[in-house]
Amino acid sequence: MQVRYGRILLRFWKNSMLRELSFRGHFVVNIITQLLWVAMTLVFIKVIYMRTSDIRGWSEHQYLFLLGTHMLVTGLFETFFFTNCWRVSELVRTGGMDFILLKPANTQFLLSLEQIDYSAMASLPIAVALCVYGVVEGGVQLTWGKTALFAGLIVIGVVLLYSLVFMFAVTSIWLIRQTGLNNLWFYVVSVARYPSEIYRSFLGGVLWFVLVFIVPILLVANLPANVMVRTFEPMQVAYLAIVSLIMLGLSSVVFNFAMKWYRSASS
Amino acid sequence: MRKYAVVFRVSLSERMIYRGDFFLSALMHFIPIITTILLWQAIFDGADVDKMGGLRYREMVSYYLLVMVSRLFGSMPRLAAGISTDIRDGELRKYLLQPIDYIGYLFMLRIAHKMMYMLTSLLAYGLVFWLCRDFLPQWTNPWIPLYYITSLILAFFLGFSIHCVLGLLGFWFLEVASFLRIFMTMHYFLSGHMFPLSLLPDWLHGYVLWLPFAYETYYPTMIGLGRMNTDQMLEIVCIQFLWATAMLGLARWMWHRGLRRYAAYGG
Repeated sequence: MQVRYGRILLRFWKNSMLRELSFRGHFVVNIITQLLWVAMTLVFIKVIYMRTSDIRGWSEHQYLFLLGTHMLVTGLFETFFFTNCWRVSELVRTGGMDFILLKPANTQFLLSLEQIDYSAMASLPIAVALCVYGVVEGGVQLTWGKTALFAGLIVIGVVLLYSLVFMFAVTSIWLIRQTGLNNLWFYVVSVARYPSEIYRSFLGGVLWFVLVFIVPILLVANLPANVMVRTFEPMQVAYLAIVSLIMLGLSSVVFNFAMKWYRSASS
Repeated sequence: MRKYAVVFRVSLSERMIYRGDFFLSALMHFIPIITTILLWQAIFDGADVDKMGGLRYREMVSYYLLVMVSRLFGSMPRLAAGISTDIRDGELRKYLLQPIDYIGYLFMLRIAHKMMYMLTSLLAYGLVFWLCRDFLPQWTNPWIPLYYITSLILAFFLGFSIHCVLGLLGFWFLEVASFLRIFMTMHYFLSGHMFPLSLLPDWLHGYVLWLPFAYETYYPTMIGLGRMNTDQMLEIVCIQFLWATAMLGLARWMWHRGLRRYAAYGG
């Protein structure tokens, strides 16, 4: 039988919307916290750039654009995948995974996309506004090609984040109890928010190398921002695209491998 | 008095169960510090000035390290949220029936938690501070240790009473949690956790320093940095004491007012 994934996805999104509508306050609170966060960060950046004109080659407007890009990537990830990844360990612990395994569709698909966190979308318009501000104030020449590449890189970045976090979530099949996902995500977010160049001076650049080439989370925001407002490095773009695809494939391999160890909980 | 000693002892041994968890999470807290250090290094490298907000690069780094110590005393995870859920779910009845003062009980509980946390994270903090020893300030004024410890302890009192006030809002509002999220976001900025408040432009600086939040983090940290003279330290400690007493008084008052409303529900 042909499984119609498009229709399943649509149903998932509708269900999430119904769930979200019963907690409408979340959306408002998220907007307020995101706005506050941006306002605070803007003050910080203003305060810094009052005393300096560039941070490792990033001007004020480029930095703002980087922040917007970072919010965009992490916001998209949180909207589509974070709740789902977080739920994996819960499903393993309670045995709720049984129901998903029984369904006649790809398990990873069902696990990864069942819920949408609409309230996380609150940061997206703010992120876009930051990007637009950075571009306009920085006097950047936009082309359709650059914009399309930027959009593509955002998607690639989200795919990479999803693959990494999902693989991490899957390890709960072995560890059963795992609360580290929130922490992990917090650290990923706080590391990737800054110009990648700042990491070069630490430990002789080892950390920078690892975060750019081995687990390229630094590129997730830096690369699209670079393409749009600084310099376009085709090799890095190709590299990130390839690594993301490999990681996506790997996440599926790791997941299927881990499922061999899944033993339902209780009853 | 003995019953509070028992509360203290019981929660102390309760905390001992998770000592492994503590060590790891204490160490994890320092990951963003690396990013912060690198960011400030980049900022100072590109700047035309060698001091920002009165702090040199070395002092800036130790500011963030000492903020960790201030937060060790002043942060109250789950306190306000716990109080408001106790109120909402009717759990408060349990405490009202016992010959024990609820706020006093929470206070002993918190001291036990804090002491346990400090003991278990001592190793992690020691390690990080040893690694960063070159950044740390040399105290020339012999009064600093006395005032520093006093202001840290007062930061604990202040943090405790502020969070009691926030939690007790639960008598009047159902949804304290979303308010708390917004509050904590602002607190990160207003307390000087995000960056030293001396960096702010003068017009903003004046207002922010008047608020009690600066006395939770910014001022104790500046004392630890050795940036304050003896008179200033005395003044800071006095104002801390006043704020803490005022907040505790407010919490007491809210408690009595709130209980009158609370009694009406029962159930």
